[in-house]
Amino acid sequence: MKENKIKKTLALVVEPIALGLVALLFIIPAITVINLQPITKKLKDINVLGVTNRSELQINIVGGSHQIFLNEKIDLAEGKYVYRTKLTKRDADSYSKPIIEIINNKEESVNLDIYGGTTLPTKSDIGLIIRDQRYRLQEPNGDNSVQKIIVPAKERYVVYLYVESFSDVMFEEDFELTIKEIQ
Amino acid sequence: MSKLIKRALKNSIFPAILMIAGKVFGIFFTSAVYGLTFEIGNDLNGIFSTQIYFNDSSTTLFVNSYSDLFMFAFLAIPTAYFIAKTAIFQSATDDPKTIVKVTRFNILQWITKDDTTFLKIFIWTAFLWIASAIIVANTIQDNTYTWVGIFAGSFAFLCGFGAVKTFEVESNKVYPDNKKYY
Repeated sequence: MKENKIKKTLALVVEPIALGLVALLFIIPAITVINLQPITKKLKDINVLGVTNRSELQINIVGGSHQIFLNEKIDLAEGKYVYRTKLTKRDADSYSKPIIEIINNKEESVNLDIYGGTTLPTKSDIGLIIRDQRYRLQEPNGDNSVQKIIVPAKERYVVYLYVESFSDVMFEEDFELTIKEIQ
Repeated sequence: MSKLIKRALKNSIFPAILMIAGKVFGIFFTSAVYGLTFEIGNDLNGIFSTQIYFNDSSTTLFVNSYSDLFMFAFLAIPTAYFIAKTAIFQSATDDPKTIVKVTRFNILQWITKDDTTFLKIFIWTAFLWIASAIIVANTIQDNTYTWVGIFAGSFAFLCGFGAVKTFEVESNKVYPDNKKYY
C-alpha cells in the first residue's frame, strides 16, 4: 500500500521531467546546428615558424542574432569592406547592435571613410556608435553623409550600428555600409 | 513513467545525435575534401559561444550548403527506410504480389518483422522537419544554396505524407475498416 503510494508520487514527479527531456532532445540539436553554422571572418595568417598577424587593417563581423538586424554579411572587394544587413519592420524606438570590429595591426594610425544607408529613406536616423561617440550615416529624409574615422596604431574598435525612428517602420529594407581605407 | 514517454525518449536520442553529427561531419568533410582553412572561435554572441569561421562569404555559403545537405541526408535516409519498410510490410500482408516483388529484389528480411512503430517514424519525421526548417530558413537568408532548400523542403513534405500513411495503417489495426474485415 505504502509502496504503491510512493510509486504514484514518484511517477507524478518523474513524468513532467521526462516530458521536458523529450522536448530538450528536439530543441538542443536544433540550437546546436544553428550555432554550428559557419561565419565569414578574415582568418589569421599562420606560417610554419609560428602564429603571426600580418600588419594590416582587419575588419571582422561580430555576428550573433538580433530581431531588427538580420542576415549580416561582410565582403572585401576592390579594397573596400562592404557590410550588409536587412533591417526588419520595427516599432518606433532606438535599436543598436555591435556589427563589426576594426583592428589596426599597423604601426601607424589608419584613416577610414565610412558611408552607407538604405536605398529608400525609412524615416529613421541611422548611424554608428564607436566608443560612445555617434557618427550619423543617414538622416530620416534619406540624406547620407560620409564619416571619417581615425583608428590609432594597434587599436581595436567595436562598431555599433544604431537605428532610431519616431514612427513605426512597416517594411524591411536592405542596409549597406562601406568602409574604405584612405592611403 | 508512462511507456510512451520512455519509448519517445529512447527513440529520440539517436536522431538527435545524428542531426548534430551530420552537420559537424558535413563541415569537416567538405573542408577536408576541398582543402579549405577554417578557424574555431569561442566569442560570446548571445546564447552561442562557438563559431566556425571561413575566410570569405562564398566559401562559407559552399560549406554551409553541403553541411546542411549532409545533416539532412543523415536524417532523411533512415526516415525514408522506415517509411518504405512499413509500407512494404503492410502491402505484403494485403497483396501476395508484393511478396513476389520483395523476393525478386532480395529484401525479404524487410517484411519478416514489424519492428518499426508509428512513434519511431513520427520522431524521425519530426527531426527531419526541424532540419528542413533550418535549411529553408538558411536558404531564405541566402546562407544556403536554393536547390538545397528546395530539395530539403520537398523531401520533408513527402516524408510527412509517409508518416500520415503509417498513422493510417496503425489506426486501422486498432479500428479496422468495417468493409474490409467484416
